[in-house]
Amino acid sequence: MSNPLHKKHDFIERSILSALAFLKDATLSEEYANRKGFLQSLDPRFNTISFLAFLVTAVSLKSALLISSLYLLCLILATLSGIPIRKFLLRTLIFIPLFSLFIVLPTLFSFVTPGEPVWSFHVVGITGIITRPGLDGAVLFVVRVAASVSLVVLLSMTTRHSELLKVLRVFGIPQVFVLTVSMSYRYLYLFATMIENIFTAVKSRVGVVSHHRHGQNIVAWNIANTWNRTTQMSEDVYMAMLSRGYTGEPRLLSAFHAKPQDWLWLLCAVVICAFLFYKGYTL
Amino acid sequence: MSDTVFEVQDVHYSYLGKFPALSGVNMTIRSGEKIAVIGANGTGKSTLLQLLDGLIFPDRGTVTAFGERLLEHSEVYEKAAHRFRQRVGLVFQNADIQLFCPSVREDIAFGPLQFGVAEGEVNRRILEVAEVLDIQHLLDRVPHQLSIGEKRRVAIASVLAIDPDVYLFDEPTAGLDPLTVRHIIDFIVSANQRGKTIITATHDLHIIGEIADTVYVFGRNKSIVSGGSAESILNDRSLLESNNLIHIHRHHHDGREHVHQHLPLEPHD
Ligand SMILES: Nc1ncnc2c1ncn2[C@@H]1O[C@H](COP(=O)(O)OP(=O)(O)O)[C@@H](O)[C@H]1O
Ligand SMILES: [Mg+2]
Repeated sequence: MSNPLHKKHDFIERSILSALAFLKDATLSEEYANRKGFLQSLDPRFNTISFLAFLVTAVSLKSALLISSLYLLCLILATLSGIPIRKFLLRTLIFIPLFSLFIVLPTLFSFVTPGEPVWSFHVVGITGIITRPGLDGAVLFVVRVAASVSLVVLLSMTTRHSELLKVLRVFGIPQVFVLTVSMSYRYLYLFATMIENIFTAVKSRVGVVSHHRHGQNIVAWNIANTWNRTTQMSEDVYMAMLSRGYTGEPRLLSAFHAKPQDWLWLLCAVVICAFLFYKGYTL
Repeated sequence: MSDTVFEVQDVHYSYLGKFPALSGVNMTIRSGEKIAVIGANGTGKSTLLQLLDGLIFPDRGTVTAFGERLLEHSEVYEKAAHRFRQRVGLVFQNADIQLFCPSVREDIAFGPLQFGVAEGEVNRRILEVAEVLDIQHLLDRVPHQLSIGEKRRVAIASVLAIDPDVYLFDEPTAGLDPLTVRHIIDFIVSANQRGKTIITATHDLHIIGEIADTVYVFGRNKSIVSGGSAESILNDRSLLESNNLIHIHRHHHDGREHVHQHLPLEPHD
């Protein structure tokens, strides 16, 4: 029985589920951060500083060729850190349009000279004349975005999020903040898993969720209920914290211990950036 | 009496003032005792343990711990509370709730750190309790991605690291495989032999012979319907049956149906 309506609902349901799975995988899973690899073996504080340096370099350089070499470095680091290149490229390519939007917007506005009313014409004007500098600009822009996004994605893939948060502590962010954010993060994961489970559970009870009116009601009710459950959960977690002596001022392990190779890595990063800057300057 | 750990007198508790969870509970627990609180789901076992841990407070009646009454706003927010929490540790029914830190190591460290234990000593304790509970290989894992048995062992480790005098276990063996159950029972028994007071809520009759000398049975009326030695309770079939604690098997033999119950130590046939 091929009911077209049924098909459509099935498609929507599958899309929601796969979007959820992708989000969970892309933002919440720590699969690669838990692997043994080059970046994972280094202190997250040093990684963060090195990557910030690379990022500043990528954004400041005016030569697409030099930025590409940073991009290449990024791919090499990804390989050394046990991340399959295909997967890495896929993940960065998905984020690039998103980031581009944020970066393109301000540059667009800088083209709008004050007093000129029709800016759509202006945009057409720019795309209309494909000059050499224009093309260079576009290439430069794309390479720059690709390199920056890849750097950010690589750092976030190879560092556990709780550690990235702890790096914030090094920069003077209070512990309560770090604990709260890392916990919300965790419950986001639980929340996503819960919704996934509800879909599967309802499906196993009702058969196919989507073409069944009853099934849809169950899903709606469950999502509301999930919210209640999460608030109840946060109260329970608070009790669990109290039980183990929490008094409102959390004390956590000071987790980082710098090794010689961390300093070596930082030195390499600084040398690479200095070299690129020098090249960019003399080019 | 100085060796009385808990004195529970006519305790009533209801959630949000309308869902009764305990009504009229009395019990006295002495230092070094092994106690089991058994009852079907929803009979108030978890609520009792939270009252004993000073996390919630009775609507009526009193809970006294180490000779001092547990009161909200006096006990919880002052120095005495800190001392109390160091002496009493609760292993929650839901390990997902108990484990809220980003790594197993940090979860184990959380308790001792709150009590001001120096970091060197905390690191020593982490290794020690990890060995006792056989979770050394899990220290850098994320707690919520572990299996239920692993979570349970980490949850116990996080309480053991505080080294309390009294352990409250809420259904410590529910949903675990036989080997993990064995491991946890051994842990409870050895803690008791080191002089720790143990109070376990469970509906698993198979384990109470080992983990309890005294058993309290909670009934549907949300209070204690019976109490006594583990042996006498286990032998009281009608008590266990009427409180929904033994399952009844239905078998077909040569077309005839016959019904019988199982006691924990009897072999299934
Ligand atoms: N957060 C809550 N809100 C409302 N009612 C609750 C809550 N927690 C427990 N109850 C009710 O209190 C009673 C006792 O629950 P509980 O102590 O969890 O029992 P047990 O641990 O023996 O299964 C049950 O009837 C339950 O429905
Ligand atoms: Mg319970």
